[in-house]
Amino acid sequence: MDWRLRNDGDRLVASPTGRVDEDSWKAFSTHLTAAVRDAVAAKAPLVIDLSGLEYMTSKGLRALTMAKNEARGQVAIRLAAPNETMRRILSISRYDMLFPVVDDVDQAG
Amino acid sequence: MLVRFWGTRGSLPVAPHADVALAKVARALVAAGGRRFADEAEAAKFARAELDFATYGAFGGATPCVEIEADEDAFAICDMGSGLRDFGLSATRRCAEGHPRVYHFFLSHLHWDHIMGFPFFRPAYETGARIVIHTGHADAEAALRRQQEAISFPVPFDELKAHIEFIVHRPEESFEAAGMEVSLVRQSHARGSFGYRFDRPGKAVVYSTDAEHKPEDMDLEEDVEAFFANADLVICDTMYSLGEAVSLKQDLGHSSNVVAVDLCHSAGARRLALFHHEPSYSDADIQRMHEETLRYEEAVRGERPRLEVLCAYDGLEVSL
Ligand SMILES: [Zn+2]
Ligand SMILES: [Zn+2]
Repeated sequence: MDWRLRNDGDRLVASPTGRVDEDSWKAFSTHLTAAVRDAVAAKAPLVIDLSGLEYMTSKGLRALTMAKNEARGQVAIRLAAPNETMRRILSISRYDMLFPVVDDVDQAG
Repeated sequence: MLVRFWGTRGSLPVAPHADVALAKVARALVAAGGRRFADEAEAAKFARAELDFATYGAFGGATPCVEIEADEDAFAICDMGSGLRDFGLSATRRCAEGHPRVYHFFLSHLHWDHIMGFPFFRPAYETGARIVIHTGHADAEAALRRQQEAISFPVPFDELKAHIEFIVHRPEESFEAAGMEVSLVRQSHARGSFGYRFDRPGKAVVYSTDAEHKPEDMDLEEDVEAFFANADLVICDTMYSLGEAVSLKQDLGHSSNVVAVDLCHSAGARRLALFHHEPSYSDADIQRMHEETLRYEEAVRGERPRLEVLCAYDGLEVSL
């Protein structure tokens, strides 16, 4: 898993790539928590661009939950551009009920 | 080894209302499309081949009770949910054919859905039967005695004729019982629960129910994976979706299908049985959960061999 974070005007866009699984979830979670803190400090929503992600296991999903807990409602966390596998995983886990999911990073304003 | 599921529902026994059977019959008749069958056996063959399990069958509504057949000298039973009544009747028949009347129970914990079958366990009323109750909870005997106090049940515990003993185990120490090497592990649940691993040379079964795998405890999951390592069958609490387990149902002490798949993948387990089904789920709901679990397993399998995912139902037998 690789991770990039960029400032995109009034929002932060995080782009993990590869897989989030039992080998990579700790790195993913560490980056994610740091990004949430940055977003809270900047009072900017955090968009997670999933387009480069092959898939994410429950470890990654639960890292998203920890990030949401970290944000304590102060900033929104949105998921954008999941591939078909990720979309299926979000639906099966019902995470699409916990996080807003949009097709396009640009829609995730 | 043979694993027999006598009760697979979580929390509360359930039974279908009349309209559930009617809907199934109606669906089957529509699917048959006017076809004629010589007899019921032929119709049953058609039903199995052409209909889904939620239509021709049912997952059942008895609470947790799982038999592990490994040894000819003793029965081994995980939990005493309402499924225990049917196991007791089956065991009585098998004992009439010469099976020794020795019963080893392994209790995950003492919540009602896991002990409520014991007052209805016929062998407990038989002189000459020997019942050994293995538990991680020091107050297991108090829990079983209490549910047979006069306010709750007409026959007091002391009137049971079988020889009953309780053995409280510590998680660090494995032991021998019913021809198996048994180890237990503490799990996250209200007042704690215990998972059991049963090993025979070359075969292993894990019974892990009523266990929550919380986001903030993910660091500790390597221990769970080690406990599940290379098991031929892992029976897992998959009561809620992960989304529910981390939000509305947080801290209720249960797990999800996707976490169970991940633990089994990491552990190199061969088969997973989805277990402790939510009592409000219909057969179609449970079947959908099973289908979704198969899709999830495929999505996150990576380069691993396929994990076989079964959905436990009352009456399922799995031979290993
Ligand atoms: Zn339970
Ligand atoms: Zn419980």
